[in-house]
Formats: sequence, C-alpha cells, structure tokens
Amino acid sequence: MEALTALVHNLGIGFGVALTFQNIFYCLMGCLLGTLIGVLPGIGPVATIAMLLPVTFTLNPTSALIMLAGIYYGAQYGGSTTAILVNIPGESSSVVTCLDGYQMARQGRAGPALGIAAIGSFIAGCFATVLIALFAPPLAEVALKFGPAEYFSLMVLGLIAATVLAHGSLIKAIAMVILGLLLGIVGTDVNSGVARFSFGVSELSDGIGFVSVAMGVFGFAEVISNLEQKEKREVFTKKVSNLLPSLQDFKDSWASIARGTLLGSALGILPGGGALLASFAAYTLEKKISWNSANFGKGAIQGVAAPESANNAGAQTSFIPLLTLGIPSNPVMALMIGAMMIQGIAPGPQVMTERPQLFWGMIASMWVGNLMLVVLNLPLIGMWIKLLMAPYRLLYPAILVFCCIGVYSISNSPFDVMQTAVFGVVGYIFVKLECEPAPLILGFILGPLMEENLRRAMLLSRGDPLVFFQRPISLVMLVVAAFLLIITLAPAIRKKREEAFVEA
Amino acid sequence: MKIANGKDFWAGVMFVAFGAAFMVIAQNYPMGTAVRMGPAYFPTALGGILVVLGAVVLFRGFVSKISNPLVVFPFRAWLFVGGLVLGAIAYYTQVARDAGMLAQFGHEMLSGLAILALFAAFGERSLWVVLFAVVVFGYILKPLGLVAATVALVFISAWGGNEFKWKEVAILAAVLAAFSVASFVYGLGLPMNIWPSVWE
Repeated sequence: MEALTALVHNLGIGFGVALTFQNIFYCLMGCLLGTLIGVLPGIGPVATIAMLLPVTFTLNPTSALIMLAGIYYGAQYGGSTTAILVNIPGESSSVVTCLDGYQMARQGRAGPALGIAAIGSFIAGCFATVLIALFAPPLAEVALKFGPAEYFSLMVLGLIAATVLAHGSLIKAIAMVILGLLLGIVGTDVNSGVARFSFGVSELSDGIGFVSVAMGVFGFAEVISNLEQKEKREVFTKKVSNLLPSLQDFKDSWASIARGTLLGSALGILPGGGALLASFAAYTLEKKISWNSANFGKGAIQGVAAPESANNAGAQTSFIPLLTLGIPSNPVMALMIGAMMIQGIAPGPQVMTERPQLFWGMIASMWVGNLMLVVLNLPLIGMWIKLLMAPYRLLYPAILVFCCIGVYSISNSPFDVMQTAVFGVVGYIFVKLECEPAPLILGFILGPLMEENLRRAMLLSRGDPLVFFQRPISLVMLVVAAFLLIITLAPAIRKKREEAFVEA
Repeated sequence: MKIANGKDFWAGVMFVAFGAAFMVIAQNYPMGTAVRMGPAYFPTALGGILVVLGAVVLFRGFVSKISNPLVVFPFRAWLFVGGLVLGAIAYYTQVARDAGMLAQFGHEMLSGLAILALFAAFGERSLWVVLFAVVVFGYILKPLGLVAATVALVFISAWGGNEFKWKEVAILAAVLAAFSVASFVYGLGLPMNIWPSVWE
C-alpha cells in the first residue's frame, strides 16, 4: 500500500513536469524529429540520437532528456516503418520486424502491420513506464550501497553481457570492448593530471568526443558503405490505407503483444539487453508457441506484434540500469549518459533523490511520448512514405549536413568534425572486417568510470585484487559474467546463437 | 601457411596494432603500483589484453573454416604511407602562432593533404570524397559561413555518389542551406556565421 501511494505521488510529480506546455512541445518535437530521421533507411536510433543531440544543448536538462527520449522512441518507430515498407531494417532491433512485416506489406496489409506495431508499442510502453516507476526506487537504494568494487564488477558484467549479445564472433566483440575502453581513457587523467595519448594536441587532452565516435562509426561509416552498394529498394506504397487493424487482427495478436511486452520488459533490464535482444527473443518465442507459427515468415501479424511490443518495452526498461546505476546497457543508453554529462548531471542513483523533477518527469514523459507516437504516426504515415521514396542520392547529402552541423556545434570547432571523419574511416574498416561497433561504444563510455573504480577498489583493499571476490555482490556479478562467457563458448549454444542471428 | 579468412586476419592485425600502440605510448607515463595506479597502469593492462585477443583473432584467420579473400576492401599502401609521411612532416614543423599568413596557410594545406591521402588510402572513391566534403565543411564554416559550407558539403559529397546531376544537386544544396539557416541559426540559436565573416 505504501509503495502504491509512493508510486502515485512520484508519478504525480512526473506528470506535473511532463505535462507542462513546454515539455509536451519538446516531447512532440523529439518524437517527430526522431521518426523523421529514423525512417531514413540505414539510420538507426544511435545515429539519429547522435545527430540530433546538439538540438537539445540549448534546453534545460529536464526538457533536453525528455526530448532525447522522444527522439529515441521516434527513431525506433521510424525504423519499424522502414522495415515493414522497404524491408531495410534501420537498426538491428527491427531486423525481425522485416520478416513478417514486409510480407504483410507485400500482401497489401502494410496498414494493419504499421497499426499493430504502433498499438503494440503503445501498450508495451505503458506497461514499461509503470514498471520503471515501481522498480527504479528500490534498485537505486541498493545501488547507493555499492562500493567501487561492486561498480567495477557490475561494469565487467555489463560489458560481457553486451558482447555475448553482439552479432558474430565473441572474441572480436570482446576485443572491440577493450579497444573502446582504451579510446575512452584518451585525455587528461583525473588522478595525475597527465594528458594521455594526446600527442600534444590540446583538443585531445579533453578526451575524444563520444558524439564524434558514435556519429563517425554509426553515421558516416553507414553512408559510405551504402554508397558502395548500388541502390535497390522496393517501396510498397500503393495501398497503405486503412491503418487500423481489424477486430480479427486484434484477436489474433493481443496474446502476442502481452507476451512480447513481458519478455521485452524483463530483457531490457538486464545489462547488455535492451531493444535488440528483446525483439529477437520475442520473435523466437512467438514462433515456438503461437498457434499460427506455420505462417511465420509469410506475413503473420503475430510476427510483427510480438517483437515490436518487445522492443519498445525493452527500450524503455533499459532506462532502469541507466537511471539507477548510471550504467548504460546498450549504445543508445551510452549516448544518453553522454547527454546527461553534457548537461552537467552525473548519472547514478543520486539522480532520483537529488533531482526528482528530472527523474520522474522523464519517466512520465515516456508515457506521453508513446501516446504521441500513436497519434502522430497514424496520420503522418503518408509523409514518411514520401520520404522513403526519395532516392538515396538525395538523402545522404542531407544526412551529412545534419551530422556535420551537429558535430560542429558541440564545441564550435573544426577539430570535432575532422575527428568524426577519422572515425568514419575507422567505422568503415570495422564494417568490412565484421567487427560490431556497438560494444566499442559501450566500452568507450565506461572506460574512465571503470579505471576510476578499479583504482579506488584497489586503493581501499591495499592492492589486493581478491577484493572483487570477497565482497558478495561483486562476486555474484563476476560469477554471472563468467557463466555467460562459458555458456556462450559452449559449442552447442554457440551454434544456436549463430543460427539465431543468421536466421534473422 | 595460407590465410583462410582475410577478415579475421586483418581484424587481428588491427587489434594487435592498436593494443601494442597503446602499450608503447603508455610507457611515457608513470606506472605506479597496484595500490596507487599511475596513468600508465590501466592502459598497459588493457593494451596487453588487446594484443592477446588480437593474436587469437589473427591465428583464427589461418585456421578458420569460413573463407574470405585477403583483400577485404580496397587499400592503397602508397597513399597510406605518403599520408603518414606528410602528416609526420606537418606534425614536426608546427608553425608558431605569430608566423606569417603564408606560413600558416602552407602548414594547413600540408596537414589537409596528409589527411586527404590517409582517407583516400581506404575504400572506394565515395569514401574519401564524402569524408573530404565533411572536413571541408568543418574548416570553412567559421570563415565562410553556414550557407557556403553547406553548399560545399552537398556538392562535394554528391559528387562522390554514383550519380551526379547538376540541377538536382543545386536545388538540394539551396534547400538544405535555407533549411539549416532557418532551423539551426534562427530556430535553435546556434552561434554560427551565416555569411562570410568579412561581409559582416
């Protein structure tokens, strides 16, 4: 009962903040811009957020984060639209939506596919919002008791979990994490004041800009590799009328939406989880247990409803580790941490107690944002389709312009633009060598934090590395991390994991 | 021994190179002890792990069952080496702040050429043209203003694509320039010149 009153009280604060005219406006703008960019083929939420980050610099922290969250949901929904209509996943979490969504579009049922995706996402979003409000406070309380050893082990676990979930080779993914950690500590060392790996370049002694890395690796590299391939796109635009799914569609898919929501919410909380894992798992589960499983891959509406609900639920619950522990569970959350730091907020358990307005306002705005997406997308779908029909040769210069203005405005220096171009080359090489960049970004954000906590833990234990195994919470996390590594390396599971990614 | 999987082989080479570079450069800083870690401690340890992991990936390139050609993407070694040489010259001939315009301009051109060569060493034509467009944008934005920078970015990057139609690109450049001025400078109030700074 007490928890319930606290919940109502907290959500009251939240909606008080989120429902001010100003914040509704920023939430709306975020959703709109996010969808606009997210619809463009080949641009996922990470690139979208990196690109639009500078737009939020001039806002106050609460509005900025509300807008960024809106951008995130918008980008994700935009990605699903592209997946259904063009069969090009804008991002890996809508890969599975392509399977049945595109088939539905080919059968002239693009409308219901888009509609059920929006409605499923909305239901999942509502559920996940309540879940965050319920779970965040107790988790933050636990986190306040964390010492440096616990934090270090938590980061190890998070990074390992992220590599387990990356596509392709596990060892390459771990190597990418390490490379990310190394790139993350470039710049002035807080303890000694030594400018590390800066080669006397003054801009580098402030560290490598994370927006540069994200935009170069996810944005520019994507544009470049797209240009290497000749364009072949087939957009189903003829008959996207009748967006509302029929009553029969609802009857067919409500159970899938419910299962997707539950599974997605649970997986989103895990370190390394989030939208990607959620949508894969939901699709696989649905394919196993649905009465309609024979039609999966041939345009089954359950095959759209379940992963779309799951990825939205996962996208939202992945805010839980971010807001309570200050640990990003996926690249999008890494960008969110970066945005918080730029706004002068240190992410972690203290955010909730010190800035309740920001914390609960952001959570309430998640619900508002989800509602907006439904309201926005149903009437605006025609506009997105027009955008999808624009040839790539017109789109990519526009993408580059927004990226460049975005990067430049971070510190008004050409150096950042240059740095981003360099990471464009690096990202291109990663793509060609089949090295997944997502773990790199996570490592990049966690590098300095990890070093700091390692140093403190070792200082407190007087140089005894066993401290990580003596403290129970820390030990549990390391054991889980080791377990994850071992089961992933086990031949049977390894084969399954590869199959799962190949199939999708 | 024959290299079976070019992708793994080169990924391994890349990881080993990065790991070794971080380790070597870190030796310029104090190492400290396990109790009080110096600035070199963490990067040396991570660099070591990266070298080991890279070596495993490299080794897998020889024994892998997946076969990929050794040439994974176009690479022009002469441009790469040339870019490195030019870059080294530019790095070691830093021009003093009070040096003449000409000397500074020359130094900037040299750095620019080095960068261009390094970009052009990788990938197809589109890669270096697009990234060159980006760098040009960054460097002319302040002196020449947002309109000129946007137009330059659109024209150069469009030229890097597969199809280039003058009229279409001109319209696109005009639309994007107008849009970015309206939304970023007037709308969001980003502090940027719209026109060349000498005009104002």
